[in-house]
Amino acid sequence: MAIYKKTYEDIIIDVLSISIALIVLVTTLYPIYYCFIYSFNEGTDAAIGSLYLLPRKFTFSNYATVLRQKSLFLSFAMTVARTLAGTLTSVLFTAVVSYGLSKKHLMFRKTYMMIGIVTLYFSGGLVPNYLLLKQLHLLNNFLVYIIPSLLSFFNVLLFIAFFSELPEALEESARIDGARNITLFLKIVLPLSAPTMATIALFNGVGHWNDWFAPAFYITNEKLITLPAILMRIMSLASAQQEMQKHVHNSVPTTTPESIRYATLVVAIAPITLVYPFIQKYFVKGMMVGSIKA
Amino acid sequence: MIRLIGQKNSNINTIKQYGNRQLNKFRKQLSLQLMVLPGILFLIIFCYVPMFGNVIAFKDYSITDGILNSPWAGFKYFSQVFSDDDFYLTMRNTIGMSSVKFVFTFIIPVIFAIMLNEIPFLKFKKFVQTGSYLPHFLSYVVVATIWMVFLDPKGLVNTILLNTGIIKSPVEFLAESRLFWWIGTFIDCWKETGWNAIIYIAAIAGISPELYEAAITDGASRIKRIMHITLPSISNTVIVLLILNIGNLLNGGPVGSNFDQSYLLGNVFNRDTSYVVQNYIVNIGLNQMRYSFSTAVSCILSVISLILVIAANYGSKKVANRSIF
Repeated sequence: MAIYKKTYEDIIIDVLSISIALIVLVTTLYPIYYCFIYSFNEGTDAAIGSLYLLPRKFTFSNYATVLRQKSLFLSFAMTVARTLAGTLTSVLFTAVVSYGLSKKHLMFRKTYMMIGIVTLYFSGGLVPNYLLLKQLHLLNNFLVYIIPSLLSFFNVLLFIAFFSELPEALEESARIDGARNITLFLKIVLPLSAPTMATIALFNGVGHWNDWFAPAFYITNEKLITLPAILMRIMSLASAQQEMQKHVHNSVPTTTPESIRYATLVVAIAPITLVYPFIQKYFVKGMMVGSIKA
Repeated sequence: MIRLIGQKNSNINTIKQYGNRQLNKFRKQLSLQLMVLPGILFLIIFCYVPMFGNVIAFKDYSITDGILNSPWAGFKYFSQVFSDDDFYLTMRNTIGMSSVKFVFTFIIPVIFAIMLNEIPFLKFKKFVQTGSYLPHFLSYVVVATIWMVFLDPKGLVNTILLNTGIIKSPVEFLAESRLFWWIGTFIDCWKETGWNAIIYIAAIAGISPELYEAAITDGASRIKRIMHITLPSISNTVIVLLILNIGNLLNGGPVGSNFDQSYLLGNVFNRDTSYVVQNYIVNIGLNQMRYSFSTAVSCILSVISLILVIAANYGSKKVANRSIF
């Protein structure tokens, strides 16, 4: 490689690829960054415009106003609760079901698998789903966030792929020591599958955190609404104004509906933005496994 | 006669034995079965019941009678759907928007991955790649709000375009129906290019470096190496993903964001191009509570999607000699 000299073509391609990458990077990250600086700037000052790189008049007052809104605070707590509860139950349930299905000697295994695979290709329409939730009294119920997404057969397939790679000798020896199926699962299989569980938990968690359909259509009780649904209401400036008048009584004079909106956006973005650099490699791994298996 | 009866008895005995053996086997793996059965029960309730619930498209559904007792209506609702103007409008928009999105959101990640591979600095490459995922993790509500703000007449996009002299007066992007499909495509690319490129980046990383070294000694230029090594090496991955995504075409291609965009960014001004079938189903189903009608529309949509999947599978058998199922 050392003898290889860069030609004009090489230099052009180097420069081109780097500059395109820079443009992509900036267009991707800048809008998100802009929300951050706007939310830390005084609203009245930001309204003048030309706020580009750093906050001009730094303030926490937008966040103070946002966090003082009881409805928003509640919805934040609800989103956290939903994400934790939903992810935990779903991953555990999926792991248990998949462990059973991964055993080749399981009776009716073929039938069970068929039942599962059909769900990957066919699904009920929106209305039948809605009617089912209504029948089960899940509408306007916290459980609507959790129960319908307990099990997705796609994740089951991922788990089965993992479980069937576990060495059989491991289980054999445990069995000789007198361990039964349940103990075996809890003491040996679960700890070993922690990485897979983490990956699926992350996918699940992000899905729960970001979901806006369920709170928007299945929930009318204000107390149960999550953050994305609140964001939906203040999407347009006019509605942000109305919402502010309803909830914010003692706002700081320098805040504007717009700055409040940015602060709310950041509250929704921040948790994921903060953790994602550390967890993204699990995501990438999960995505790879998923697509290879698919 | 006696022999016959004897045979019958022994047959019954073997069946009984067989049954006993199976029962014993079942009892032995009872704990395993108890792990699986709740899952199957879950799938039956939450996937199969709604699947069969689709039959209300053929019934005069009323809440008091329930799904089973409502009277049959035949194809009444389907003919109503086919004489509804909004159905054709939303169908046209779905197909148009999906096609534009499909082409761009499918091709751009491939180009992005190839281009990323050409960057000479490894650290920078990793940084760009990681940075490009971020929007993937944001809720569509957040994404829609961000772009609503940026595309506002007083927003940043207009400011930049005005200052560089590309436009003379501010454009109200989200009120122009002729722009909606392109805005949707742009937002999808913004949100998912990095994420969708992962798989191609991995495929490129798997190419043996010897191939490139041999090409260099043979004097192949950079572009020639891209055209003759990188592209052919990932073409299989590209074809598989293309086929897998065709089933999702009507939801908006690889990203599948038709409904999110239509519902969150659609308004009365851009309704001509932003109103898509998925939004129509929600609107007539949950807002107007015309349950049977809405289900009829979603059945039509599912049938089209199913045909697309089967066609894609057939095509892949012909072209690449591999089938998805």
